Amino acid sequence: MKASKILKKILVYGFLIIAFVASVFPFYWMITGMTNSSVDVIKGKLTFGDQMINNLKTVFNSYDLGRIFLNSLKISLITMVLSLLISSMAAYGFEFYPSKHRDRIYNIFLLSMMIPFAALMIPLFKLTVKFGMLDKHIAIILTSIASVFLIFFFRQNFKSFPKEIIQAARVDGAGEFKIFYSIVMPSMKSTYAAGAIYSFMTSWNAYLWPLIILQTDKQKTMTLLISSLSSAYFPEYGVIMTAIVIATLPMIVIFFTLQRHFVEGITGSVKQ
Amino acid sequence: MAEVTKSNSFEKTQNRYGWFFISFALILIVIFLLYPIVYSFYLSTTETKGMVQKFVGFSNYARLFKDPMFIKALKNTFIFLIIQVPIMLFLSLLLATILNDKSIKFKGIFRTGIFLPAVTSLVAYTILFKMMFNSGADGMVNKALMSMHIIKEPIQWLLDPFWSKVTVMLALTWRWTGYNMIFFLSAMQNIPDELYEAAEIDGANKAHQFWYITVPMLKPTIVFTTVTSTIGTLQLFDEPMNLSTGGPSGTTTGPGNSLLTLSVYIYNLCFKYTPKFGYAAAVSYVIVIIAAILTVIEFKVAGDNNESK
Amino acid sequence: MKKVISLLLISVMLFSTTSCGKKADESASKSDKEGTETQAEKSGKLTIWAWDPNFNVAIMNEAKTRYQKDNPKVEIEVVDLAKADLEQKLHTNLASGVKEGLPDIVLIEDYNAQKFLKSYPGAFADLTNKINYKDFADYKVSLMTLDGKTYGVPFDSGVAGLFYRTDYLEQAGYKPEDLNNITWDKFIEIGKKVKEKTGKAMIGIDPNDGGFIRIMLQSAGQWYFDKDGNPNLANNAVLKEALKVFKTIYNSGIAKVTNGWDEGCKAFNSGDVASVISGVWMTGSIKAEASQSGKWRVAPIPRLNIEGSVNASNLGGSSWYVLDSSKNKDVAIDFLNSIYAKDNDFYQKILVSNGAVGTYIPAQSGSAYSQPDEFFSGQKVYSDFSEWMKKIPPINYGQYTYEADSAIFALMPDIFSNKLSVDDALKKAEDQLKNQIK
Repeated sequence: MKASKILKKILVYGFLIIAFVASVFPFYWMITGMTNSSVDVIKGKLTFGDQMINNLKTVFNSYDLGRIFLNSLKISLITMVLSLLISSMAAYGFEFYPSKHRDRIYNIFLLSMMIPFAALMIPLFKLTVKFGMLDKHIAIILTSIASVFLIFFFRQNFKSFPKEIIQAARVDGAGEFKIFYSIVMPSMKSTYAAGAIYSFMTSWNAYLWPLIILQTDKQKTMTLLISSLSSAYFPEYGVIMTAIVIATLPMIVIFFTLQRHFVEGITGSVKQ
Repeated sequence: MAEVTKSNSFEKTQNRYGWFFISFALILIVIFLLYPIVYSFYLSTTETKGMVQKFVGFSNYARLFKDPMFIKALKNTFIFLIIQVPIMLFLSLLLATILNDKSIKFKGIFRTGIFLPAVTSLVAYTILFKMMFNSGADGMVNKALMSMHIIKEPIQWLLDPFWSKVTVMLALTWRWTGYNMIFFLSAMQNIPDELYEAAEIDGANKAHQFWYITVPMLKPTIVFTTVTSTIGTLQLFDEPMNLSTGGPSGTTTGPGNSLLTLSVYIYNLCFKYTPKFGYAAAVSYVIVIIAAILTVIEFKVAGDNNESK
Repeated sequence: MKKVISLLLISVMLFSTTSCGKKADESASKSDKEGTETQAEKSGKLTIWAWDPNFNVAIMNEAKTRYQKDNPKVEIEVVDLAKADLEQKLHTNLASGVKEGLPDIVLIEDYNAQKFLKSYPGAFADLTNKINYKDFADYKVSLMTLDGKTYGVPFDSGVAGLFYRTDYLEQAGYKPEDLNNITWDKFIEIGKKVKEKTGKAMIGIDPNDGGFIRIMLQSAGQWYFDKDGNPNLANNAVLKEALKVFKTIYNSGIAKVTNGWDEGCKAFNSGDVASVISGVWMTGSIKAEASQSGKWRVAPIPRLNIEGSVNASNLGGSSWYVLDSSKNKDVAIDFLNSIYAKDNDFYQKILVSNGAVGTYIPAQSGSAYSQPDEFFSGQKVYSDFSEWMKKIPPINYGQYTYEADSAIFALMPDIFSNKLSVDDALKKAEDQLKNQIK
């Protein structure tokens, strides 16, 4: 009995370690790439080199990295906050106030998620130019805060929220908004955490739309910088890796901070 | 009598709240999503060559089925969908279950590590994957497999139509497993611990608990990840485009167009070939139709229901 | 209160629109003046889209510095985008008919020139009488001409060369003279010898890349289309021969198979192959491995065993185009004209600092072009490339080059494995192509 338990442990950890190594290896390689010259990166060198200072210098001297980084951060954070709020509100409306009309609208929403973005680009572009939002960050934020993906995600998660709690709160005389922000929101922390990770990641990595809508260098985002860096006939891979590592850090920070909320769930906070 | 009017007015105010809660999202989505959709549907009934536009009704749709390139793209996309999505989702669920177990040490590190692929830059990982799956005997993966005597000849990873699909599936699984894991992990927090405790007392082992508690309780999230992964795969673009030779300017997408997906085809029609936006929009609507059918099936199979009872 | 605010808002808006109107009037009258007095000082802002930070972007910045010396009031911004990104942006802007987002000058790859010119009629400025095209290589001017009008300002050349390792070839018993003006058959023969003596592959080959086929086609003055622009695959003798050569190289064992740009570079940087056949712009990537200095030379490319094929061809290259909607069109044209079509010294500078070979013929007698290059065993590579450039047969790429490439290469695995004969494959590809461009 004891032996089989140990064996099980070994199996589980073995599996985890394999998955972990496979997942982290490319990231490790990226970091070594940051310290190597371009030729070494192409040759597949896997150890640390001494080019890090040079690469950092090149990145910071040739591009206004601080500004580009802040552009990305600003867009992603604003989008994340607004999008969590608006999408979860909508999901709440759909799930807790059932109505035939709204369900029809919901189904249209789901359908709209299935269209490849490339097909919508030209009309969307015309529209944003008409609104005078060409080369403005707001064009990126406004078009992405109402996310069907997030509405869908929140609604699926609200399904497991006990409806009796809401009824009880109403009996106690709590207003509808109060129920939403002081009962539902706090008790779905893990859902909001996952939604935040998704939202931040999506807008941080957004590429096609910013590419089309942003025109000047001072509005550029990190993804656009990396894409233009890697387009050279003779790409400077050491420099590219440096920019990529810098571009990846915020997402890791966000993930690592938010994943803690995956331990306290709905039951814990509702019971209190 | 008074009772009835009271409940009626309650329903009315409830209904108003319902509209209010969805109003912000509704306005934004109508402007920035539904309007472009209607417009692009109109485009799909025109024949465009750049700026030159002409109404053609549904002939773009009729033409699709005589277009070998489209049929190839459709086939390739389906192969990715049928094989890769189930494997990935199963792995995600398994990892989430393990990493939700309170007795596992270093959970935060494992979770972050396994999530890393989702945030690793596409540029970086395509360079690395191309190097790892180099078809020569000196490619990292070939070298490893050969030294373990699993294969004798180097595998022509990205140069053979069959193996290039395998490589892309490996890349997809690598990139999206940890990402789907977080949705499962977050949903697992909503399962009351009492259920597991009761099962433990009844003597149910971990496998039983997984199949009879975790899976049924996670049904909404399983539906969610299945639907979004289906849509994601139908729109698959990054991996085939970047792992195949030459990227966007490459001659074909994968050897013999073995990696040509519907989205890559749309891209080619819009930006690589002489632009045919109308025809490209028609291909997009085929994706919508397929995705819609699959989604309905997925909801039905799971018994999940969005209609109000 | 609300009313007051909205009144204020309206008056502010009105004021700003009227002042905008004034500005526009002013600038309009200014440009009128410029039209009459050519001596007047130019002013305005130019936005330029280009795609390679070490190459055309850097070169454009050099051009900017030079132009601004005489025209300090002209503001120039060079925007650096990935090539595929640039094309996406350009297509989206042009197709949606929105003028605000367009640049004043844009770089377009030569293979795409006709596609843009034909798809968006009127979008690009006609430069026929504004630039002296006689100073540029023939083949370059012909690809940017549509219905008798010429649109672009020629930029870099993709004149092709056969780069080879002198040490490997010597081991196999060949001298530099033996590689001059050879046929592809001879090239394969040499390759076999090299493989036998050194164990190295003669060349890297990417089975999914159309580059070789394009080099071979243009060397015989042929393309995927006939003179009227109709697909010409099934009965194209040059194309058949080119595919046979390609297949032979792939199957003969003299080639190292590579996948994509990086692997291709790795093959020659790490000394795995004895030669590279590519455009002159490959020079920079070859020279990146400094330890191989003195071991390389360049010969003319092999010719096809077919009448009319010469030992000169082209791969890639790009040119500048002025958008017709540009507010400062005249300034943009003047800028391109005074640097790219007149400044000889500019071309010497960009050759030395960026390895860019222009198609401006007067520049080729300049000092930088006749410099021997130590990396290439003291060969005067750039004056050789310039000589070959003059021999490149001018052809019309048409607007469907990428469609044709894709139709043929979709069948390449079947051609390599003999599942399809070259003749059958080309018939099938032609059908597919005709359907595609319908």
